[in-house]
This record gives sequence, structure tokens and C-alpha cells, in this order.
Amino acid sequence: MSNVSYLVLFFPIVLVILLVLEACRSDDPRKIAKRAFANFGVLTAVLVLGGAFVYVINRWF
Amino acid sequence: MNTRKEVMILAFALASAVAAASVGGSWKRSLAFLAAWLLPGAGHVMMGKWKKGLFFFALLGAAYAFGMHIAGWRPVSFDDNPFYFVGQYGSGATLLVAKLRGSEKAILSAGIHPSWFDPGLLYVCVVGLLNLVLMLNVLDLKTASAPAPAAGAPAATAPIPPAAVPPPAPEKPA
Repeated sequence: MSNVSYLVLFFPIVLVILLVLEACRSDDPRKIAKRAFANFGVLTAVLVLGGAFVYVINRWF
Repeated sequence: MNTRKEVMILAFALASAVAAASVGGSWKRSLAFLAAWLLPGAGHVMMGKWKKGLFFFALLGAAYAFGMHIAGWRPVSFDDNPFYFVGQYGSGATLLVAKLRGSEKAILSAGIHPSWFDPGLLYVCVVGLLNLVLMLNVLDLKTASAPAPAAGAPAATAPIPPAAVPPPAPEKPA
């Protein structure tokens, strides 16, 4: 574990947060999982795209 | 932490319970609110949502254990990060562990990269903050079993008889 970037810790904690928030809204486990993973995908995509944008700006501009 | 602060925290918890009772209208709900602070998921179990309560307990317990593993099984001290330290107070269980461990500073576990230390403390803090969300959810929770209507008694949601509905107003001629 000593060589793994701390960025991997993003995945479990965000999943925990989203699962708790969705479980507060709904009682259906399938709906909870579906919404949590959908939101997780959107959040991750926004972060990756934002990171890529900042990288490009810093690298070539 | 001195006794004065602990008394203030307990007074806050009691005031929260009284507020919860006035909002929810039942002492069971206010007790569940307090139980939710003491242990993640306990409030949901008390309100009859035991599956959800166990789910919350497992989820937050795993996140807390993972964060504590990174931080060398020591609680977040004020010197480590004052914000993460306050976050621990969201749950009585995490506060109890912090009290039992005393004023030891968190140290990085062996074999873990130093860059993981801050996220580990963040995990512990997030568990406390998510428990506050669970406490608020207990106030908004619908009870698991509604009382069944007695035999022969009219149901509360019985449709209105047609005679009680006023007839529509006649249309005016053009």
C-alpha cells in the first residue's frame, strides 16, 4: 500500500457518502445503489475532466 | 478536554433531544435521535428500520475503522487538524474512542504512505459528519408499522361518499 497514490481514497469515501445520502432518501436498495453509482460516475467524470483541463492549461499555456 | 466542555456537549445533546421531541411529537423519536448520536444506525433501529440501521452501522463503521487503521488506531487530536477533530463529535461512539485513547496524537501506521495520513483523518471526520445526517434523517423518518384500523371501523383514507361532494356549478350561457 506504500506506493499507491492517496487519490484512490477518493473512491471509497465518496461511495460511502453517496450511499448514505441516497439511503436517507429511499428504501429501495436497488434504487439506492443505482442513484449512488450514477452520481458517483458524474462526480468522478467532473473531477477527471476538471483535472485534465487544469493539466492542459498548466502544461501548454 | 476538560469537564466544562463535556458538560456543554451533553447539554447540547439534551437540548437537541428536547428539540427533536417538539418537532417529531414523540419521545420515542427523541430517544431515537439521541441513540443515533450515540451509535450510527441505532436511531433507525429504534424506529423500526433495522435493516437500514445495520446498513448505516456497517458502512460508517467500516469507513471509521479504515480511517483509524491509517491513523494508527488513534483518534484525531486538535493538533492534527482542528476541523477533523470537531468532526469526531458527530457520533458518541467516535467521541468515546477519542476519550478512551486520551490525548494521544495520531501516527501513521507502518507500511502506509505518508500522503495517506490526512485522508485517513478525513475518513474519521466524515463518519462523524455523516452521522449528523443520519440523526436528522431519524427526525424525518416514517415509522415502520402504522397502527391497523380496528375491524368494522371506517378507514382513515376512506373515499368521500358521492352525496358529500358538491355538484359542479352550471355553465353560464354564452
